[in-house]
Amino acid sequence: MTSIGTGYDLSNSVFSPDGRNFQVEYAVKAVENGGTAVGIKCKDGVVLALEKLVTSKLLKPGANKRIATVDRNIGIVSSGLLPDGRHFVSRARDEASQWRGLYKAPIPTSSLADRMGSYAQAYTLYSSVRPFGVTAIIAGWDSEAELPVDGQVGSGPGVGSGGKKGGSKYGGPHLYMIEPSGLYWGYYGAATGKGRQIAKSELEKLNLSEGNLSLEEGVKEAARIIYVAHDDNKDKEFELELTWISSLNGPTKGRHEEVPKELKEEAERLAKKSLEGDDDDEDEDKMEE
Amino acid sequence: MNHLPQAWGRPRDDVYGAYDHSHFQTAGPIQHTQSPIVTGTSVIAAKFKDGVVIAADNLASYGSLARFTDVKRLRKFNDQVVVGFGGDVSDMQYLDRLLNSLDVRENYSSSDTPMNAKNLHTYLAKVMYKRRSDFNPLWNHLLIAGLDADEKPFLASADLLGTTFTSPTLATGFGAHLAQPILRRSLPDESSVQNVTKEEAVELVKECMKVLFYRDARSMDKYSIAVISKGGVELREDEKLENQSWAFAERIRGYGTQTV
Amino acid sequence: MQATGMLGEDGIHVDMNHLKKGEVNLGTSIMAINFKDGVILGADSRTTTGAYIANRVTDKLTQVHDTIWCCRSGSAADTQAVADIVQYHLGMYGITNNEPPSTQTAAAIFQELCYSNKDQLSAGMIIAGYDHRHGGQVYSIPLGGSLHKQAYAIGGSGSTYIYGYCDSYWQENMSEAEGIQFVKGALQEAIKWDGSSGGVIRMVVLTASGAQRHLYLPDQAYKGPGKQ
Repeated sequence: MTSIGTGYDLSNSVFSPDGRNFQVEYAVKAVENGGTAVGIKCKDGVVLALEKLVTSKLLKPGANKRIATVDRNIGIVSSGLLPDGRHFVSRARDEASQWRGLYKAPIPTSSLADRMGSYAQAYTLYSSVRPFGVTAIIAGWDSEAELPVDGQVGSGPGVGSGGKKGGSKYGGPHLYMIEPSGLYWGYYGAATGKGRQIAKSELEKLNLSEGNLSLEEGVKEAARIIYVAHDDNKDKEFELELTWISSLNGPTKGRHEEVPKELKEEAERLAKKSLEGDDDDEDEDKMEE
Repeated sequence: MNHLPQAWGRPRDDVYGAYDHSHFQTAGPIQHTQSPIVTGTSVIAAKFKDGVVIAADNLASYGSLARFTDVKRLRKFNDQVVVGFGGDVSDMQYLDRLLNSLDVRENYSSSDTPMNAKNLHTYLAKVMYKRRSDFNPLWNHLLIAGLDADEKPFLASADLLGTTFTSPTLATGFGAHLAQPILRRSLPDESSVQNVTKEEAVELVKECMKVLFYRDARSMDKYSIAVISKGGVELREDEKLENQSWAFAERIRGYGTQTV
Repeated sequence: MQATGMLGEDGIHVDMNHLKKGEVNLGTSIMAINFKDGVILGADSRTTTGAYIANRVTDKLTQVHDTIWCCRSGSAADTQAVADIVQYHLGMYGITNNEPPSTQTAAAIFQELCYSNKDQLSAGMIIAGYDHRHGGQVYSIPLGGSLHKQAYAIGGSGSTYIYGYCDSYWQENMSEAEGIQFVKGALQEAIKWDGSSGGVIRMVVLTASGAQRHLYLPDQAYKGPGKQ
């Protein structure tokens, strides 16, 4: 590593002469060691999936959930340093609740991503802090319905509001990924952690930008991608964590929830089956390092 | 005219008299809300063998003015709790938002046991007591109806002072005077709850809403009613009082001796 | 500090001592209605200090964002301060979130300010706005700081005289001309019976094509000049 010994990597908020912040780059290394996390934006919802590496046989299976809910309609998953991820989520929940405090409405996913991007970025500016050792994927469903102001009473005219302009669609699925630098983009499909390269190439094959993938297909694809990206040689055991957010008339009614047991088991069964199918070529193309 | 900066923005002394500087005093005692403004009247509720029935009308008054006639004062918290609000509407809305944020936070820790009516009553009573202890009460009287941890009917009240009560039947405001005695005829004690069916309880509560409409000058004939039982919450918000008795007015002539 | 007002059995008594001596009061008639294409706000133009008319051509219709406006009643100083703060918040919202705020957002901020400062404010506000997604909307925030979504809202001291008029003549889905006639008819009655209301009738019509002001003068029997 070119940074070592130069001294430019010892403090956050100090650039190297060629314009790099090495502390941020080391944070990215921390992310690259984390279990794979995937997010898929589907036409009628969003899916989050996580390869939760089992670090001890003494941990209770199914406990210690890693994909967190923010407000009711947003989910966050991260790869990298676990405590950093939890702090990140805690901040996101504060932002969402602060938003509600003033605007009496749920925070739009884009606004949360923007605020969290700024928050992560601020941790690259000062020598007294270190950058977040996580890359976080934020998934949300912004309500397509006209929401009342929290607490309001009354409902306006019986015939509904006058002068609405039809034709436009409002609300819908959103997916963002925030990196340790604070950089964030909106994605059709996002992946981070150990198996991100494989996961990304699998996501690309789904042609997500066409917007044809249904939520249920998305769940199955997400599970499959986590299984495909899992490296059996390095990590023995992992648990799959799967959450989703559907439209208001879908299975989760716009809320971020765990994928129900039956569907998750079905998705895992299909994922394992697809791995058996191409078992041979998996040995051939020696996975990336 | 006094052009000194100290006099800027002040009414002219020669026109309005000396300015009362106590208005600028911050050292004195801080005073908070002394009275409610937009108000809802009674909430009434009764237990039955499988659950609880609760009702409140849809009126928000502004003094004697019947200002808003579409105000829903029963709030479903989850599948086993409903809260009924009497008193100030702005404070009711504050509590509604507070319960909303509580629900969001409850959802973060994915426990399989949701908040029951008893939990919520404890919480709300503490909120009410905290505020009265700050000399800034929330001007409400609440009834919390639903099921407890054993899925038994639960009914309790909390008022602006943080006082709590529990009983097979409860009523706030005017209802405490007019409806409570009627409700107690059918439900005198805890053991009598077992003898009352859902249908009987609903009928009883509706009868009380009618009496309240007859005799409470701050009430109206549109109301909300909820039934909470193991099957969940049935909430109807646009009920109209039925089978009212007015025709006897025809026989009333004069105020004593007059007969025509 | 004194309490904001007293609620007697016969209605609200505004504690005039609370209005600091000589403070300007908007003893007012204001209203806003939904109609087929959006909303209409209306107000009289009288501002009084006691029985003296401090301003006879007041503009009580205040813009807080492009197509979100409010009607102010109560203390002129309080309502202006509140409207200014909301205007600031909505401006910030529009810039930071890359989309204009909805009427709900405006109503929420008004309510937060009026509720959390209820002990020191005497402000009765009506918020009306138009946006493509939600169409026209009308919200009322009376003295205590509660928030009510309404088909139409009336407020200020003059409104008590026109509850009957409005309830009788109100129709949903009126045309613009009918809506203007409804607002004008109601405000004329309020001005007629309420000593604290008077002067000209101002209106703002909010639709997909933006905000349009109207003006009707007493010396033209409130027939004109009309659109401005």
